[in-house]
Amino acid sequence: MEELLFGIGISALAGALATIAGAAEDTESDIGSQGDPNSQVQLAPQMGYVHRIYNKAISGEPPAYGLWVALAAGIAWALMAIQFNAVLALVLGSAVAVFVQGVYAVTAYLGRTSSLAKFEQPVYIDLLKSVTSVTMAHAFIAIFTCVTMCFLMIEALGHPFPLPLMGLIWGIALGAAGSATGNPFYGKERQYQKYKFGAGLPISASGDIVRYAEAGQRSSLDNGWFTSKGGGPASGICFGLIVFFELWRTILFEPVANGWGAIIAGVIIILVFMILDRYVESWARKTYGPYPTEEASS
Amino acid sequence: MSALGGGSSGGDGINPTASVIAIVILLVAVGIVYVMYPAALFPLIGVIIGGALIAFGVHFVPVGGAPAAMGQAPGIATGVAMLAAGAGLAGLFGGAWAAHYGLWVALGAGAIGGALLMAITCLMVNVVYVYAMGIPAASGKVEKDPITGDTFPEYKSSGTEGHGLPFISYVGGVIGGLFGGFGGTLIYMEFLAVYEAGLPTVLMATPEEVVPIAVGLAGIFAVGLFLVNAVITAYNITGTIEGPHDPKFKRWPRAVIGAACASAVCGMFAILLVVV
Repeated sequence: MEELLFGIGISALAGALATIAGAAEDTESDIGSQGDPNSQVQLAPQMGYVHRIYNKAISGEPPAYGLWVALAAGIAWALMAIQFNAVLALVLGSAVAVFVQGVYAVTAYLGRTSSLAKFEQPVYIDLLKSVTSVTMAHAFIAIFTCVTMCFLMIEALGHPFPLPLMGLIWGIALGAAGSATGNPFYGKERQYQKYKFGAGLPISASGDIVRYAEAGQRSSLDNGWFTSKGGGPASGICFGLIVFFELWRTILFEPVANGWGAIIAGVIIILVFMILDRYVESWARKTYGPYPTEEASS
Repeated sequence: MSALGGGSSGGDGINPTASVIAIVILLVAVGIVYVMYPAALFPLIGVIIGGALIAFGVHFVPVGGAPAAMGQAPGIATGVAMLAAGAGLAGLFGGAWAAHYGLWVALGAGAIGGALLMAITCLMVNVVYVYAMGIPAASGKVEKDPITGDTFPEYKSSGTEGHGLPFISYVGGVIGGLFGGFGGTLIYMEFLAVYEAGLPTVLMATPEEVVPIAVGLAGIFAVGLFLVNAVITAYNITGTIEGPHDPKFKRWPRAVIGAACASAVCGMFAILLVVV
């Protein structure tokens, strides 16, 4: 019984860490325009819209976070092997991984932005100085919480994978959950805030991103402020639910029916989420109704 | 016509010459393993089946890429290989954890782990679209949802190809996660069996001593093979896909042949590098 309660407690803690990791990951990627909306940041100057938005997309979020979390986990693993305190090892591993993230961010911004020189898009050095450190701070939170969660899965729950491999797997899953959930909120809702709420962006409007704020030009820090209220928490909930339910159903139901209990519990959880999704979809159709046709609106 | 204005490249048909070459390469890889390490023959066939299942499963996953991030096209706003890898590897995590219960429980745990990631991710995608952006789900490829019967043209906003995740895409995502998790775990279990049997001789150690090495090697090679198969499938899909109702779904036999060939060659190296 004690072991079971301990396992459920660790599942809850890992779920909480994953929630923070998901929220920080999405906010970090939105500040740096690392997700799919980077295409619009890159496209804007080519359409004549010069801007001050940071663009550090050098790869998709899943492989980027796979690398950073695996790197942090690998260093922490090596330090623990030479008898470093586990907490110190996790912090040091995350710190080194964040420096690599910072190098990637700087080179990606300089490379991507300077490639737009013929469209008269400047490279802003002040932007590089002010935004890079903010993305690094968010990345540290995401990497540290994710690698700590991986450490708990191994040390407290007894998963057989070594820490670096676990970091790679959950880093990729973190990036996948964060980019899937958070990208539309940043891409449509923030970058194209001046377009009508409640509709997708017309393809012909691509590149016309919002470039001005209440005072002066909009910066990527404004974007982080905005998405941390919507896309970030949603990504956090998404990744937190994934980790929590994956661990919870295994801890609680695996002993039932020689391992099949966790699988049956998983099927039931999936069906519940499926029903919730259908409810959300039907609610939107009923509440918002169909779009007015051109004849009706004229 | 894609959301980015370009035509979708790559036909739906199978190139007979390329397919024959792929099958010959596959048979050669299987033959080499049979000659050099006969005990790994059936595990290699398991690896090939796992790779083919991953390739097939990725076609179910609704991926909208960059256009989906602007609400210009339906699907999840990320890359095909990215999302499939996220789901499949979460499945691999669950499968490896349940490995001591035997092959079938591990495969079931892997499949459900992948499907669970997709079920939660797809739900949160729709939650963001509906509650944070006020946009209902609408497919751009079919007029009516084959499962629910919902019609889409009137729910598609002007100038877009649709948005969000219709229910058929949601179900496709869950099925894709199931296949991905199952295939990834099958590859892991086959490698683990080969390494646990072969490493004690190679390292001159007891079976208990080689377990951590075998688990680590099997895990990293399974992750590698998963990425190989997901990327091959992403090339076959060329950009975005809405799920099983998308016309691009019909391309799956081509990806399955390619993935089986790649899995055979990669599997051969993964086995021979370690145990020979």
